[in-house]
Amino acid sequence: MTECDLLILGAGPAGLTSAIYAARSRLRTVVVDTGVAGGQVASTYQVANYPGTDGVIKGIDLVNNMKKQALDFGAQIDDMQEIRQIDLSAEIKKLQTAKTEYYARSVIIATGSVPRKLNVEGEEKFTGKGVHYCATCDGAFYADADVIVVGGGDAAVEEAVFLTRYAKKVFVVHRRDHFTATKSAQEELFNNRSVEVLFNTEVKAINGTDFVTGVTLLNNKEKETYEMDIDGIFIYVGTQPQSSLFRGQVEIDDYGYIITDENLQTSVKGVFAAGDVRKKEIRQITTAVGDGTVAAIMAGRFLAGLKA
Amino acid sequence: MKVTVYSTPTCPYCVMAKNYLKEKNIPYEDIDVSANPAKAREMIQKSGQRGVPVIDIDGNIIIGFDRNRIDQLISQ
Repeated sequence: MTECDLLILGAGPAGLTSAIYAARSRLRTVVVDTGVAGGQVASTYQVANYPGTDGVIKGIDLVNNMKKQALDFGAQIDDMQEIRQIDLSAEIKKLQTAKTEYYARSVIIATGSVPRKLNVEGEEKFTGKGVHYCATCDGAFYADADVIVVGGGDAAVEEAVFLTRYAKKVFVVHRRDHFTATKSAQEELFNNRSVEVLFNTEVKAINGTDFVTGVTLLNNKEKETYEMDIDGIFIYVGTQPQSSLFRGQVEIDDYGYIITDENLQTSVKGVFAAGDVRKKEIRQITTAVGDGTVAAIMAGRFLAGLKA
Repeated sequence: MKVTVYSTPTCPYCVMAKNYLKEKNIPYEDIDVSANPAKAREMIQKSGQRGVPVIDIDGNIIIGFDRNRIDQLISQ
C-alpha cells in the first residue's frame, strides 16, 4: 500500500516532467506506468526538434535523462505495473494494481497514446511475423529486403528513412495525395534513392503463410486493387489516447481525449491531465513537457488549498 | 543458468532488457542480429517471429521485454 500527495499515471515526457516539478516542491510523488518509463519517445530513434539538444538526441537517451532527473529529486517510479482499476470519485483517489494499492490526494493522468492499428485482415496474425510498429526495434531483420511503411505523418516519413539503412527498397504507402509530415522530413524522404512513394494507396489485406509475403493494395483514385510482394510492413498510422480506464469518471471527448480547462484540471477536482492523452491541437514532446509542468504546479496549488 | 539476448543496436526495449539483467547481476550473451544473419535466423527459429528483443533463459523463450516473465525464470 502506497500513500502519496500526487499520483502520476504514465512515465512518458509529460509524467516525468510533472514528477520533476512535484518532487522539487517536496510533494510525495509516485509515478506508475504499465511499461517501462519513456513513453513513445523511448522507441523513437532520433529526436531532432527538442530544444537544447543540438538537434540530434536519441529518444531513449532523452527519456532516460528525464527519468534520472525525476528520481534524483525524490520521485518514486513504479514501472511495469499491471493496472486493475482506478477510483477518482472520493477525496482520496485510489489506484488498484496487480501488486498493491495507491492512495493519492491528487492525480495527474499522463497515459499518452498507443499506435493505431490498420484493422485489416492479416494484421494481427502476422504481428511480429512481418507486421511491425517499431522500425528502430525490428528494421534490422529486413536487410536487403523490400518493405512497406504505411502512413503519412512525421513518424511514417522519418521511420521510412531510417529503414533505408537496412532495406533494399522502402515503399511508403499513404491514402492521401500528400504527406502531413514536417517539410524537412519530407525532403529527406523524397531525396532518398531507396524510397518509392505510393500516394492514394491503401493496404486492404496483409497476406502470407508463416510470415508475410505480400499485401493487397487499393489505389483509391483509380479504384484498382492489386497485389504486391513484400517482406515486411511497418505501420505508422497515428495513435489513440489511452483513456479507457477513466471512462465515466472524467469528461472525455468523442475521440477518447481527456478534456481539461486552461489549467489542465479535468472535470474532477484534484485530477489533472497532461500530454498526448489530453484534448488539444498539437501533440509534441515539448508540449507534453509544458503540460507536465503546468499540471504539477496546479496540483501543488490544489493541495495547498489555493485557487488553481 | 544460460541467458542469451538477441537484439539490434537501435532497439530501445533491447537496451532496457539488457540494463535490467545487469541490474539483477545476471550475466548474458549479447547477440546483435543485425550484424549476424545466421544468429538472426536462429532467433527467428527459436521465437517463431522477427520482433526483438528475444531472451533465451535456459531454452525458455521470452519475446519482448517481459519483466514479469524474466523475473519468473531467473528466480527458478
